[in-house]
Amino acid sequence: MIAFGGSLLDVISSSTMYSSTMRFAALMAFAAIGEWVAEKSGTLNISVEGMVLTGAFTAALGSYWFHNPWLALLAGVVGGFLVAAVQANMSHRLGANQFVVGLTLNVLAVGLTAFLDAQIRPTVSRVPEFEIPVLSRIPLIGDALFNRTWVLYLLYPLVPFAWFLVYRTRWGLEVRSVGENPQAADVSGIHVNKRRRQAVYFGGACAGLAGAYLTIGQSGSFAADGVSGRGFLALAAVIFGGWTLKGTIAGALVFGVFQALGSAYQALGYEANPSLLGALPYVMALATLLLFAYRSRQPASLGRPFVRGLT
Amino acid sequence: MNATAVTSDGLEAVTTDAGQRPPNAFASIAGRALPTVLLYIASICAALGLCAILVSSTGGSATQVFSALLDGSLRSAGAWGLTISTATPLLVVAVGTIVGAKAGMDNIGQEGQLLLGAGAAAFVATRLDLPGPLLLLASFLAAAAIGGLWAGLAAVMKFTRKVPEVISTLLLIFIASQVVTFSLTKKWLLRSLDSTSRTNNGEPLPQSARLPGIEIFGNVVTWGAVVALVMTLLVGIVLARTTIGFKLRVLGLNPRTARRFGVSAIGIGGGALIFSGAAAGLAGGLWLTGGSAGDRFTGGISSNIGWQGLLVALLARQKVSLAVTMAFVFAGLRTGSQFVAATGVDRRITDVIQAMLVLSLLIPPAIQSLQGRRRRSGVAA
Amino acid sequence: MNAGHDSPADVVAGVGDSLPTPAVRLSAITKRYGAVVACNGVDIDLAAGRIHGVLGENGAGKSTLMKILIGLIQPDEGTITLDGRTVVISDPLAAADLGIAMVHQHYSLVEPLTVWENVLLGEKIKLDRKVACERVAAISDRYGLGVDPLACIADLTAGQRQRVEIIKCLRREPRIIIFDEPTSMLTPAESDQLFSVLRTAVVDQGRTVALVSHKLDEILNATDEVTIMRGGRVVDRTPTSAATASSLAQAMVGRPVSLRSEAAALGLIAAAAKDAAGDLKGDGEAGPEAPIVLAVRNATVLDSDGRTLLDNLSITVRAGEIVGLAGVEGNGQRQLGDVLSGLIELDSGSIEVSGTVIDAARPGALGKVGVGVIPEDRHDSGCVLDLSVAENLMLGAVGATSRRGIIDRGAMEARAIELMKAFDIQARSPHAPMGSLSGGNQQRVVLARELSAEPIVLIAAQPTRGLDVGAIEYMSERLRAAAASGVGVLLISTELEEVLTLAHRICVVHEGRIIGEMAHHEADLERIGLMLGGVAA
Repeated sequence: MIAFGGSLLDVISSSTMYSSTMRFAALMAFAAIGEWVAEKSGTLNISVEGMVLTGAFTAALGSYWFHNPWLALLAGVVGGFLVAAVQANMSHRLGANQFVVGLTLNVLAVGLTAFLDAQIRPTVSRVPEFEIPVLSRIPLIGDALFNRTWVLYLLYPLVPFAWFLVYRTRWGLEVRSVGENPQAADVSGIHVNKRRRQAVYFGGACAGLAGAYLTIGQSGSFAADGVSGRGFLALAAVIFGGWTLKGTIAGALVFGVFQALGSAYQALGYEANPSLLGALPYVMALATLLLFAYRSRQPASLGRPFVRGLT
Repeated sequence: MNATAVTSDGLEAVTTDAGQRPPNAFASIAGRALPTVLLYIASICAALGLCAILVSSTGGSATQVFSALLDGSLRSAGAWGLTISTATPLLVVAVGTIVGAKAGMDNIGQEGQLLLGAGAAAFVATRLDLPGPLLLLASFLAAAAIGGLWAGLAAVMKFTRKVPEVISTLLLIFIASQVVTFSLTKKWLLRSLDSTSRTNNGEPLPQSARLPGIEIFGNVVTWGAVVALVMTLLVGIVLARTTIGFKLRVLGLNPRTARRFGVSAIGIGGGALIFSGAAAGLAGGLWLTGGSAGDRFTGGISSNIGWQGLLVALLARQKVSLAVTMAFVFAGLRTGSQFVAATGVDRRITDVIQAMLVLSLLIPPAIQSLQGRRRRSGVAA
Repeated sequence: MNAGHDSPADVVAGVGDSLPTPAVRLSAITKRYGAVVACNGVDIDLAAGRIHGVLGENGAGKSTLMKILIGLIQPDEGTITLDGRTVVISDPLAAADLGIAMVHQHYSLVEPLTVWENVLLGEKIKLDRKVACERVAAISDRYGLGVDPLACIADLTAGQRQRVEIIKCLRREPRIIIFDEPTSMLTPAESDQLFSVLRTAVVDQGRTVALVSHKLDEILNATDEVTIMRGGRVVDRTPTSAATASSLAQAMVGRPVSLRSEAAALGLIAAAAKDAAGDLKGDGEAGPEAPIVLAVRNATVLDSDGRTLLDNLSITVRAGEIVGLAGVEGNGQRQLGDVLSGLIELDSGSIEVSGTVIDAARPGALGKVGVGVIPEDRHDSGCVLDLSVAENLMLGAVGATSRRGIIDRGAMEARAIELMKAFDIQARSPHAPMGSLSGGNQQRVVLARELSAEPIVLIAAQPTRGLDVGAIEYMSERLRAAAASGVGVLLISTELEEVLTLAHRICVVHEGRIIGEMAHHEADLERIGLMLGGVAA
């Protein structure tokens, strides 16, 4: 036990720990920001996993075809957006059950990316690290935050942008109102389902960005099982954060810590069962939900379809 | 195939009886039937067409793929027996899911529950020394118990701490998969006792722990299919005809009214959630011992059966009778996919076809209810 | 009137004639829902600078008509002209562009947002807090509304919320304002204030106001002219000065009515109060010797944010007595109903039925000891729309129609047919889905189920909301009969008229507390009015 405690201390104080936390957390943060906006509008966007996976694959395609990281990034965003387009139009135009559509899209994304990957076999060039001077010298966290691939740096403006979008623009006000009380929004002259679709599009674009970050920023290749539930962790991060943006980001960081813990533990040469460490982020996500889900207030109309005339 | 059809009809009768259709509704249904059918046909054709384009554009032959699918699922020797055997776990998962969904419980963690169920069954089958039928029975009980336990965790979290079961069952899938990977590294758990095997596989099942098959016209169908059909029938009757089924439906349709009339959300709802997990676990046990998945437990044994069973349930729109048909169709795509590889097209195209089919089946009812709403509310269509 | 139109036979000279061009003219509006015709060739003219009443029972078509004017519903036939120009109003946004705004019956406010955010909601302008707050404050001052633009809607009372609604409506400087049943959630004092605001808004700016109501008092006091609708048609038009309560009532209901006995249904407070002092006396009134069947003691309920919803509320009901709990909407009535339905837990306090303390939080515990409930919102906790009428009738008594856990469908059907006959429930068959029934028939199903269970106590929460005059009468009679047979009835109602006509004893609830109690013969309108506003008198 003491040995374990000591090793834990070692792990926590290592800079490897910080940089790998950031690596894992960034992926979830990108996706979670988009998911947060979608949930604010009342959509429990379970297809976020499929959006990240699709984005990861289309980014690989973009890199393979254009040999340009920016176009690869754009391709990733487009991939996530396409999945979102299906999700949004089926659930907020045709009125199909959003969970069923979301689960199906996840299955479709797994099948389609695996199939196309096998048929096309794209090769990816990874975007190298870009060190931001001065800032990267900050002890412990400097290297983790400011000596990374520039794709990760997109996260830093994205957070305030999403906050501004939701809390300081008319669009954001309307998104929040359709998530809380779509009937009231409707009689106020807001096109409820249109706003919801747009929020899902935003979620898809962010999830695509997360996928692109995974492919061109982090691993430098596409793997069919590369996302493996981390899109779902982004979903959990939003609940963890009690539907606030800072809470959501905190959630992504906390889950990132637990993923990093596993790899840092082994990197420092400690003996630990890899599969038990692999379960850690999911166990901790559940544990944090047990602590925080009880008191948080979700958007009142989350997961409910809007049909004019039904109250 | 015959057995499936007959039972399907029987259940249809049960549910129609239970439904609240007025006697004169038949005429209006017949009147609307044609456009409905056309809508479905158009939608399915569009989905298959998209898949065909996908195959052609990546250098494959769509006709070959579809022909291979039919060969693998129905036409080749012994194929439909295999398909029914594959439909078995899908149906069991789906029926359990329907019970949960009727009570308003959204269990989406069947993949993990099924994997653990298969693992528990493997543990009992390879580690306990019991006479033939008892060993199988014990394996199934263990499988159902651990599946139920896994869903029960979600139930406890829901009712004590308000953690939405959609999220908890989802996250539990990944924990289940790590637990199984872990237990495959330990000989005192699931790892094969034969230390020469390098990959982490389970011990081969003893002969007494393998479900026998029934041979019909040269096709071998697992006994599990009988278990699945009996279970489907029983669930159909319980839901439609018993007080507990009634309470379950009331709870799912209007939880506040249910509470007022003494239906306990924890008792009935939690019970339904646990049942759905137990069914998924049992499906894992049936899949393992049925033989289609090989002779031993492996970490990849669930191979999306849980997810697909869930989709079957969702597509069947809470009707157990429809679940029988949908399970068979999905199983056909799975067995057919074995033959697709021979055409030079990656076999995962079948996953794409499956998902596209699901989406295409969602569209017609959505369009219809949309039109209905527009007519009622007077929004210009 | 245009000669080309199918005018109803008994039309009084239309006031539209006296003005050159009406601000709004609805011509020959027809709207059908399947076989039901909600509006049938309706013509209405609204003049600028006047308050125009639209009077009718529930289901008379007045709400449908107004929804057409605001663009929520498209008419099947007919035209709308504004200042002589024909327009098509495709949605609420188009209506807003044309200067038409509506203050809704069910508030269109988003609770977690602030006042200024709600006021701005749906406007096509830049989101600017400072400017918006100034605007809200300016309108609030001009009409003396006293609303804080930075307050969160969730913290406001019903009366304050309605003032926010009005600001939201006036913010767009509409030329035409529709008020849909505006006083249902207000105290008498707040209603008076509302109508003075209304008068200012109309006279000052020459706006056109349509006031939709089923209450005669309101129409008589606040409008300049009135159109009366019945069964989807306009049956009468008259300047308000030429109308009397009885002429309006007769036109609305379509038969001569007794203002005394049907005062509650018609929204006549004064007549209802007279009634309370008159013939109810002695009629089934419970003496002090009748046993207490229901006692709520010091009930306290907090919401998740710690706001007090029920504040140490105590109330008792004796066998054979109707206790009326009067109060303005949103003062804890919903929570009390939920507590007595076993839907929410008390944070402190207790509930006794026939002298025994009941653990109300256990599902079904109250029902088992004989507490019947006609809930405030039957769709929320009174019935299951996707189940059949027969199944809904046996919700509380599945055991009675089943053997060893198997439901006896024959017995269930027989029981359903029996109850449908006894309570005059109109449905295609016992197997028709509950959702296919009209509101009045759904309410009868609930009533039939609760009364057939032979309750000791019956909680009737807003039992007549949304029903037409006939159905209201039926419900009132059933409640009186139940009390006469010894059931203790707790009538929770925001309709003061209803409480005054039915209750033997009246309690007034304000902010979750009982602030006054009186026997029916001591009922004093002025005193109750003060209590409704929170002044213990």
